[in-house]
Formats: sequence, structure tokens, C-alpha cells
Amino acid sequence: MPIKISLAAGAVFFFLVSSLSSTAQETRVGNLIGNVKQGKALYQRYCIFCHGQYGDGAGESAPYLDPKPRDFTKGTFKCRSTPSGSLPLDTDLYDTISRGVHASGMPSWKPLTRESRIDLVAYIKTFSPRFQEEKPVAPLVIPPEPPTSPQSVARGSELFQSMNCWLCHGKEGRGNGPSASSLTDSKNYPITPFDFTSGNRFKCGESDSGIFRDLMTGLDGTPMPSFADALKPDQAWDLAHYIDALRSGTAKPSQAQAEPKPEPKAN
Amino acid sequence: MRTKSFLVQIIAAIGLTLFSHVPTGVADASGGSLKGTAKFDGTALKPTKIDMSSDPNCAKAHTTPATTEDLLIGANGGVENVVVYLSDGLGDKTFEPPAQPAVIEQKGCQYKPHVVAMQTNQKLDVVNDDQTTHNIHPMPNNNREWNKTQPHGMPVEETFPREEIAIPVKCNVHPWMRGYIAVFKHPYFIVTDKDGSFDLKDLPPGTYTIKAWHEKLGTQSQKITIGAGETKTVDFVFKSGS
Amino acid sequence: MRIALAKRIGTHLLLGTALLMGVRPAYAIPAFARKYGLPCSACHEAWPMLNNFGQTFKDNGYQLGNDRDAPIYQQPAYWPIMFRVSPTWHRESNNRVPVDKTPGAASSGLVESTVTASGFDVGGVDIVAAGTLSRNISFFVQPFIGNSSAGFAQGWVRLDNLFKSRWLNFKMGKFELDEPISQERTLTLSNTGAIYYNYFFTPPGDNNFFTGIGNLQLGTEVSGHSENDYTRYSVAVVSNNNGATGLQASQAYNVYTNFNQAFEVSGLGLQRMGVYSYVGQSPTFYQTSGGNPIPGTGMGNRGFYRVGAYGQWYLGKFDFETFYEHGHDNVFLGNSVPANQPEKLPAGAVGPSWNGGFVEAHYDYSPRLILIGKYELIRMSQQANPSIRANAGNLDTWTVGYRWYPIMNPRAGLAWVQEYSRIVNAGPQTLSGKDDINNSFLMGFDFDF
Repeated sequence: MPIKISLAAGAVFFFLVSSLSSTAQETRVGNLIGNVKQGKALYQRYCIFCHGQYGDGAGESAPYLDPKPRDFTKGTFKCRSTPSGSLPLDTDLYDTISRGVHASGMPSWKPLTRESRIDLVAYIKTFSPRFQEEKPVAPLVIPPEPPTSPQSVARGSELFQSMNCWLCHGKEGRGNGPSASSLTDSKNYPITPFDFTSGNRFKCGESDSGIFRDLMTGLDGTPMPSFADALKPDQAWDLAHYIDALRSGTAKPSQAQAEPKPEPKAN
Repeated sequence: MRTKSFLVQIIAAIGLTLFSHVPTGVADASGGSLKGTAKFDGTALKPTKIDMSSDPNCAKAHTTPATTEDLLIGANGGVENVVVYLSDGLGDKTFEPPAQPAVIEQKGCQYKPHVVAMQTNQKLDVVNDDQTTHNIHPMPNNNREWNKTQPHGMPVEETFPREEIAIPVKCNVHPWMRGYIAVFKHPYFIVTDKDGSFDLKDLPPGTYTIKAWHEKLGTQSQKITIGAGETKTVDFVFKSGS
Repeated sequence: MRIALAKRIGTHLLLGTALLMGVRPAYAIPAFARKYGLPCSACHEAWPMLNNFGQTFKDNGYQLGNDRDAPIYQQPAYWPIMFRVSPTWHRESNNRVPVDKTPGAASSGLVESTVTASGFDVGGVDIVAAGTLSRNISFFVQPFIGNSSAGFAQGWVRLDNLFKSRWLNFKMGKFELDEPISQERTLTLSNTGAIYYNYFFTPPGDNNFFTGIGNLQLGTEVSGHSENDYTRYSVAVVSNNNGATGLQASQAYNVYTNFNQAFEVSGLGLQRMGVYSYVGQSPTFYQTSGGNPIPGTGMGNRGFYRVGAYGQWYLGKFDFETFYEHGHDNVFLGNSVPANQPEKLPAGAVGPSWNGGFVEAHYDYSPRLILIGKYELIRMSQQANPSIRANAGNLDTWTVGYRWYPIMNPRAGLAWVQEYSRIVNAGPQTLSGKDDINNSFLMGFDFDF
């Protein structure tokens, strides 16, 4: 009797543990499940020259690329739907592979089958132990966008000033702010802030909520921080509307305190 | 007779309860201590002025321009902001983090203190005293990287679960800002003051490697044995070119 | 009788010599790898054969579409030029060649004998410049340098993504058709194994100026594709001149269409199926001056067509290409009779028809080792006239081989190739009437810079 109970208990325990561990390790987007072994073969065909044999972004071609290929061993990713400092979701990685990263050496891998792409996600997650030790934090919820208006754009313009966006992005959003030339990414390579007037596409994808999402998650690994704790959702939408206006060329440059006030003379 | 022994038992019990729980940093009667200085031998470059004109709110906070803090050497050659800590010798002991958070402030668009030393999983409060928005961006190798905007008055609290000596911290919008966070598994660390002197108290007896880390001068180490209640003196000398 | 036989033998010999001299241009372009930092294996299953990612890149006009395509992003050290050279050792053997009984004595009579040749050789040198002139304008220039001649193989410009749509691309110049299975990217190099005979077949007795969809063509092409290249179409209008410049043939135009659709099969990979057609007209006689035909004045055009279906199948590490073609030439073309002299048609003359196909299988052990096997056949279903034996012109060919790539990086690629190929031409065209068998064995390097 006691043996049977302990066997049963053992079986339940084993079941629980294995199902828990499979959820922790399984890579899934919709009904696509990633296979690490297939992903490895695909990685060696498609990815290894830029991202390197060890997934550290030190592939053969890496010295000639700017921006540098992602170092997967850190678990730090630009394009996520999770808060700053958190791992990306499987969907985030899948979307980045499918979309590519604009204005970089990372092409869109849509010509690969969906299964191939999810297999790559599964393999990429093996480069950093963080994917075993941590679970990604819940993704941010993007509230519906309030309609834009001149008042919203004006509020956004004030936020662009008070949140110090202009120090990097410049008063006109041209990416030429006073601090812009000193910026480096987390590998100490020079990096330039986005020029909203250039007509370029956002690296993490264009969508109606793309700016809102980038503001809230921050782009980890770069100087772009997360505003999730600093801005309430409608403030973030106001800022997004102002940035839309900068992109379409209909915004006035940031107003207040364009020139520093004269300093009191020291005695 | 019985009452006396009973009292002794109670006192002993109370005493044992008090002293068997050793929270970190609390006085251990048998604690040794380590005193000394960290000095620089050679001619060092003097701190230079920082140009904060890109953000008027930063420039306003200084009547005389602020200066760099990466190498601060006192009149007697003492080096400020050296982190002195026990390295080997503690074995596999684990230590609870203190309830009190460590604090790093952004004041006049500089980090105060310039170097913060704290324990793993201890809370770190980041405070923005300035009339401008900063972003707080630690760049660890052994902990996860995050980057948050912090307007004046907004609280930021984070922890670091892994030991790292030390994590550079920067503010991207104010590129001159630089600080360090040293995170330890144990509570036996201290940061030198303006004269480069330190007094590391309450050390359990044992044989240890003591290290001294500075952001520019590197790391020095020495071996030391401390008996119960013993006070030892250790000096570190950083040479130019080290 | 003898003259007719000699003519047949002559054509056969010509075909054989052409094969012996055959220089197959083929494209794998490391310049693209250098430009983007991608490995060869990103675009090529095993170069030169393309995978879907590479096909998409090509269909986009040699652009990745990541805002880094314009020439200003290229490093100053970047050359948009590719060289390919294939030094090999090979051995060719043909078992029923009519030779003089006594070598040197033409009057000693012809006998059938095995003819063998072997030695070191170079499979031509390809120099290709291809890429983008600016955003959405792509180009391809290939001078032709053979063993004894030089010319201009391909040269075209393509306006890509017209009206911002990837469904509309316009190409003009001299180009390869959007072939069902690309012959320019075949993995085999040998004389007998390197081409798809279905792409070049002319039935016995036929004098069609058009010799096959395998030739480079002169004209225009409109093409398009979906974002992931799963749906593709191409329509080309070309002059009927086999890509020969100088207006030498007729004023007829041919139309080629190709449409294919790919779909994913869970666990296996990407599968693709397509249909194609080539419909045209060829001249049956020319205006003459003093009995000599004047080039470009082709007249008496009569029609012909090639149609078929094909597929590309990926089953894990195996991939297969299957191809079927049905061809038909007009009776005048099939019997080499000018259309203005119908009385010269032999009794019972009809337009010849035939069916052909091939299966090519690959085992992709890794991006650096691929095993190849191919089988192709052609069967005449209707000969041009009753005097032609029913199986004349039929052929079967087998090829096996492998390619191993010891060096593969974005700057250059080197493959070591070994191949054995055998073609059996059905009997009637030899002296004895028995099957004619050609064997090719090849080994060597395929170097691509």
C-alpha cells in the first residue's frame, strides 16, 4: 500500500515536473512548435556568417556590418513586446526573423517556411541560459489609440521636450540632438538616434501601435529607454502623435527653451 | 540555587537566540576588522571640467562647472571610490540581503555616490533629484540589461541577482554621466572615502583574499588571515600604468 | 538513301561535337554574398542551385528589400563582378561513331567504332556583372569567353517593382527565360550531364530555327511574384532568333509563359508546382540572292509549341525536381520543307510530336555536400514522315555525381565535383541502327569568385 502510494505520487510528481519543464522550454507561435535540431541546421545555413557559430554576433561578416548582428548570448533584444530588461516572447523573435530589421543587414526571412522560422527561434533560444532560467514577463497591453488632434500633437511636443527626447533626437527629430554624437550601444559601438524626418522605416516594424510599443518597451541594447513607468498611456499616445507629425513633416519643432537661459554670473 | 540556574538558562537561551541569528552587517562580537588605505603612486591627470551646456537644467545646477570623477586622488595620494572587498575564503555561505535599499541619486546631473556597493537581491533605489529627465541605464555583463526613463521624482527600484564587480551605469541623454554599481554575494565590502581610507568591520575569522577595485586603476589583491576580534591593516598601492 | 543517312549522321555528329565543346554558363554570384555578408548557402541550396530565399532575392531584382540595397551602401572594396571557372579532368566515350576503316583513308569506307577522348580541360570562363544600378533597377551583363570565340551572352536591364508592386517587373535585353527548372543553375558540369535535353530537343528531320527554351532569348519579359515568392509568373515575348543578334532569322515572335505556386507541407518543406508554355513560329524559307538565303528575311512561318508541367519537391534532406514536356512542330518544319513548296512533302508527312521528362534528385547532406542523381528521357510519339523509324530521336540519359564544397564563405566558393553521365540515343541514326551510347566521366573543381 505505501509503495503504491509513493509510486503514484512519484508518477504525478514526474508528470508535473516534465510538463512544467516542457512549457518552460517549448517554443511556440500559434500552432507552430519549434524543433531545436532542425533549427540548428537552418542556422548553419542561413545565420552563422553574421551571428557567429556561438550566436555571439561575431560571425565572419560581422566586422563589415553596421549595426552589428545581435549577440544572442546576452538575451538582450531590441524588438519585443515585453518590458525593458525582460526576455522577448517567442512571437517577438518569430516576427523579427520574418520581418527582418530595416536599415540593417538582417533581411526578411519570409521566403523560409513558417516551420523553418519557428525552428530557428527554438535554436536561437539555446544560446543564452536566460531562456532556461527566466520566463519572459507578461507582454505589455497596448490600449486603443485615441484619435489624433492638434492638441494631442501639442501635448506630445511638450513631452518631447520634458522627457528629453530632443537631447538625442534633436529639436526637429532629425537625430541630431546635442547628445547624439556621443551615443554608443551596449557593445560600445557608435549608434545614431532615429531620424524621424528621413522617411525610413522603424527597425521593429511599422504598425499603428509601433511607436507606442517602442516607447513602452524601450529598445534594449541601445540608448533608447523604456517610458513605461514615466508616461501614462494617453501621454504615450500624445507623444506618438507628435512623432507621426514629425515624420510627415507637419510638426513644428520643439518650442520651449530652445536657448539656455543666461546663467547667473559666479561671484 | 535553582532560580539562579534557571535564570542563567533563560539568559543563555535568549543570548543564543540573539546571537545564533547573524543578520548581515550586524555586530558579531567576534568580528575582526580590516583598516587601511588605497593610494596612488605616480602623477595623475587632474579632473577636467564637464560641459553640461546641452541641457540647461544641468548647467544651472552648478555655480562652478562640475568636474570628472573617474580618478579622484586626495592630497596624500589616497584614491577615492575604490571598492575593497573579500574575495575567496567565504566558501559557499549564502547571505540574506539587507532590508535597507541601496541608493544612487542623480544630482546636478551626476551620480551620487559615484560608486555604489550593494548585495545581490538587495533593492536599489534610483532617485532623480534634478529638474530634468534622466534615463538610468546599467550595462551589466552578468545581469540582465534594462534602460528606463526617469523624470524628476519618479521612483525606480530594481535588484541584481548576480554578483558583478562592477556594473557601469550611464545616462544616455547626458553622456558625461558615469557611475558604477558593484554587486556582491556577501556583505563584506566598503568604498574608500576622499582620503582613500577604509575600515571594513565585523569580519568573521578566516583566511581571505582581499581585493581593491577601481574603475580606472584596475584591481589589486592581497591574502590575509584575520583572527577573532583582530584588527589588521592592509594598504593597496596602485601604480601608474597598472 | 546514302545521302539521307549521311545527313542524319552529320546532324548526330554535329550534336556530339557541340556537346564536346559545350560551355554551359551557370550562375552563382559571390558578389551578392560579399555585398550583404550572407553565406552562399543562404541563397543556394548548394550553389548554383537556388533555394526559395535566393529565388526571392533574384525575383526582387537582386535586392533584399532591407533598405540596404542601393549602391551607396556598398563598401568601396566591393566589386559587383563574379568570375567562374571550372578546371576539370574528363573522359568522353562514344560507342558507335562512323569512322574510316583505315584512319586517313576516306575511301576505305565507314565502320562503327568507339571513340574516346580524355584529358584536362576548362569549362569556359564566366564573367558576370550583375546587381542593381540603383534602387529597383537591376542588370546582368555576361560576356561570353569560350575556347575559340568571344561574344556577348547575356545583357539585360530590369525595372523592378513597378508602381511599387512586386507583381510588375519589366526586363529587356538578352536573357535566360524563367525556365521551369533553371538549367543555368544545374549542379552538373559534364558534357552529357550538364544540360536538360528536353530544353534543346529537335526531332529527326526537323529544321526548326528555334532550338529550344534552353537558349538565351532576345526580347522582353514581364514577371511578378508574391512577397515570399510562393506565387510566381512570367510572360516573355521574344524574337524567334535563338538569341542571335543582328536580325538573322525572321520577323516572327514567340511567347513564353510560366506560372508556379508553392506551398508548405508540414514536416517536409516547401513544394512547388508549375506549368509553362512556349508558342511560336519559325520560318521555313528565306528570300535568296543568287541562291543564298538573306538573313532576317524568314518567310513561310509555321507554328510550333512546347508545353508542360513541373514540380520541385522538398522532403526533408531530399529534394526532387520533376519535369514533363510535350512538343510539337508544324509538318513543314518537321520535314524541312519550305512552306511554298508543299509538293515536296513526303507522302504521309505530319507534324512531329514528342513527350519528354526528367527527374532529378538531390540529397542535401549539408550545405557543403550534395549528392545528385538525374534521369531524363524523350520519346517521339509521332514522327514527321513514315520513312523515319518510330524510335528515331528517342533518348535516355542518366547522371550521378556529388559536389563537395571545402571552401564556402562570402568571398569565394570552391566545389569539388565528380560526375558520371550516360546518354543512350536510340538506334536508327547510327550506321548499324543500334543504340548509340555516350559516356562522360568528369572530376574537377568549380571555382566561383
